[in-house]
Amino acid sequence: MARRAVVVSGVRTPFVKAFGDLVKVDTIGLGVAAVRGVLASAGVGRADVDAIVWGGVILPSAAPNVGREIALDLGLDPRCEAMTVTRACASGLQAVTLAAAGIERGEYDVAVAGGSDSTSNAEIKLPQKVVHALAPLALGKPTASDMLGVAAQLLPISELLPQRPRIAERSTGETMGESAERMARRNEISRQAQDELALRSHQRAAAAIASGRFDNEIVPVTTPDGRTISADGLVRADTSLEKLSKLRPVFAKDGTLTAGNSSPLTDGAAAVLLMEEERARALGLRPLARLRSWSYVGVDPTDQLLMGPALAVPKALERAGLTLDAVDLVDLHEAFAAQVLAVLKMMASDGFARARLGRDRAVGTVDPARLNVHGGSIALGHPFGATGARMVTTMANELARTDKQTAVLGICAAGGLGAAAVLEKVS
Amino acid sequence: MSDFLLQLSKNKAARRVVRSLPLPIPLPEALRRDSGPLGDRPLADRAVAIGFADGAELAALLASTLGAAGADPYLAGEAHVPAFRDAGEAYGRPARPIDALGSRAFDALVLDATGVRDVPGLRALFTFFNGHGQRLARSGHAVVLVRMRRDASADEQAARAAVTAFMKSLAKEIGRKGCTANIVEVEDGADARLGGVLRFLLSGRAAFVTGQPIRVSSLASFAEERVVHGPRLERRVALVTGAARGIGEATVRRLAQEGAHVVCRDRPSDSSATTQLARSIGGTPLHVDQTEADAPAMVADALRSFGGVDVVVLNAGITKDRTLAKMSVEDWDRVLEVNLASAIRLVRALEPLLRTGGRIIGMASIAGIAGNVGQTAYAASKAGFSGLARGLAPALAARGITVNAIAPGFIETRLTAAIPVAVREVARRLSALGQGGIPDDVASLVAFLASGDAQGITGQTVRVCGGSFVGA
Repeated sequence: MARRAVVVSGVRTPFVKAFGDLVKVDTIGLGVAAVRGVLASAGVGRADVDAIVWGGVILPSAAPNVGREIALDLGLDPRCEAMTVTRACASGLQAVTLAAAGIERGEYDVAVAGGSDSTSNAEIKLPQKVVHALAPLALGKPTASDMLGVAAQLLPISELLPQRPRIAERSTGETMGESAERMARRNEISRQAQDELALRSHQRAAAAIASGRFDNEIVPVTTPDGRTISADGLVRADTSLEKLSKLRPVFAKDGTLTAGNSSPLTDGAAAVLLMEEERARALGLRPLARLRSWSYVGVDPTDQLLMGPALAVPKALERAGLTLDAVDLVDLHEAFAAQVLAVLKMMASDGFARARLGRDRAVGTVDPARLNVHGGSIALGHPFGATGARMVTTMANELARTDKQTAVLGICAAGGLGAAAVLEKVS
Repeated sequence: MSDFLLQLSKNKAARRVVRSLPLPIPLPEALRRDSGPLGDRPLADRAVAIGFADGAELAALLASTLGAAGADPYLAGEAHVPAFRDAGEAYGRPARPIDALGSRAFDALVLDATGVRDVPGLRALFTFFNGHGQRLARSGHAVVLVRMRRDASADEQAARAAVTAFMKSLAKEIGRKGCTANIVEVEDGADARLGGVLRFLLSGRAAFVTGQPIRVSSLASFAEERVVHGPRLERRVALVTGAARGIGEATVRRLAQEGAHVVCRDRPSDSSATTQLARSIGGTPLHVDQTEADAPAMVADALRSFGGVDVVVLNAGITKDRTLAKMSVEDWDRVLEVNLASAIRLVRALEPLLRTGGRIIGMASIAGIAGNVGQTAYAASKAGFSGLARGLAPALAARGITVNAIAPGFIETRLTAAIPVAVREVARRLSALGQGGIPDDVASLVAFLASGDAQGITGQTVRVCGGSFVGA
């Protein structure tokens, strides 16, 4: 029988606002907390893990292979190999599908996949001009004239100031919010519809927290100053449509996107334990779900940057032999409410299906009752590299806890990328 | 040699000063040109106003073409709103009422006049362009679509002729703002080939094409696999004659940009320029004198080593301007030999090597259309390419090969820089756009005709002349 990869367990750290409680914990530290947590939750020993596949977007330049640093910091068996992948906001899902592929290919039996990002610890980038000018000083033995030469090159001083990091597309220079704002206009997504989706995200996330639904998905993080952070920091149980509607547009003067209906900058990590199914059963572990299919797509970033899921979701469903109507749960990463609503509108359009997918009929409509049932990135936050693994964790648990059979995930990502995966219950 | 008035007009302050002078100095508008390879959304985020005469037949096609090209449609009237719904959802380009743009100007105006069958129907042209013409942005593009019915009545033909003259006149009126006005004549059964033509005409790649009727036919067969993204001429082999400089050089560079492997033919005496050019674009130089007896065979041999040829651009040409009375028979012979006879011999030799969907593009001239003092030989030789296109097109249509001629007007090159200053100045200003074109304007037209987007165009002469005072 063919090898099958199954999700055995998944956890995440609390997701907290950037420059908040976790400001002193870098992406490696966040990853260590998540991986330690997922091993503990499954009762798997440090010698049992064959590989770590980690996703990240803001990688530390001194140690970009975050996955390996996590393994070393945790004291896993040195034979546990590790890699770090980056696919913008789909990095976490990329890590999970890569690990599943590795298991099914027979590379290893037990892998931890996940991702982390500490926006608080993004490195301030020096302008390339400074880097190049300083090279003679940094490399070799500089003479006095070298120093003078460097000083001369560093004028005018205004070009030397470190640049403020922006989440902007390298190819277009447009920030992601500006792209999403254009998508709202192009797809005629109203401010009210966006605020309603944001409100639902907060209400559902708050309900999940209050009911204890997330208790076994969240592991605490201890900060260097000894504090223990154990609860999500961004979800607002008390928000309302009235409050959301008062917020000012942030990406365009007459725009519709606000801080309330966009996902916030977040610190956090998530990790998923994947095993070859027979191995899991041999260890006495109950598989939560299996990855039935996945798909990654690219679209023109100058057009509608964040529409990727509208193409990736149908493709993943097709590979799984499923229709959107037949799927029990739909989990879409909420980069922006406008982007989620635009993707839903595209999937509901016959015209879109004909022109962009070569199909006669629309992909389908999604009832809010099965969409982002425990909230999404707007309420919970969005540590770039962690979100995919966070979604896999929550959906795998949902399939295991309920009578639902299938879930489809959709994620948009910088560069015009889209990602999707179909999870199914393992009986 | 550079156009002083054009340079002046680019300076806002100078522009204001000159305008305020009590002198009739026509300041030309600096044209907005699109450069680089033709992308898959050449009209991205351009606002296009669309009107429909009664009985308009192309609404659905306009919707999908403009949506896929990235344009934002603004509709006059509500009758055709449903036709735009699917494309709006597919490409995120919802159709909006024409008033919704507010005070912004339109980048293009398109009138679907395919339903106009008689003189009263012409009122639609007046209504649309009188109402919205003022709202066309600088360097904007106006296009009217007419239907070429096989069984058109005399009334209908009268109306059609009227549309052409209307647009040519409009071209002269709006040319001062750098705007163009063109006519697309769609034959029955050729609707699917309209899209590519519009993508070109509504873009800044056609900035110097104006007052021009373009016929879209289904004559040349071959349904090219639609290229969704990237260079249009990838994996194609192109031959450009007279490649070393001017229009030839611009054409070589543009075809290479579109992905073609370009074989650059020029005289052995220009070998260093040709070699340098070919090297810079990754093409192949070919030092052959076209007038030599064995030239066709040598060129054919070279192209055979590439497995054939897809695009042949006949650009080589010389001038020996003299009034007929003063012209020597040697000059007469030389001009006709270099410009036309040798080119025809070359085409004949390359015909068997042309691959399915191939292209032959001859460089004619506005002089060949209008005639010119001192250019009896030149005009005659250049007009020959129009005839060649008409004659050869039907014969090669079954293989999907199109044959066309391009008639450049005043283009700023080494050749035109040598013209006496007064004559040059008159030539520049006597066009609708009030300026000369640049070699890249011609190159853009070549690249378009060479692409699959122009499969519907064959047997024609397309002017790129800025709306020259003379010429059809």
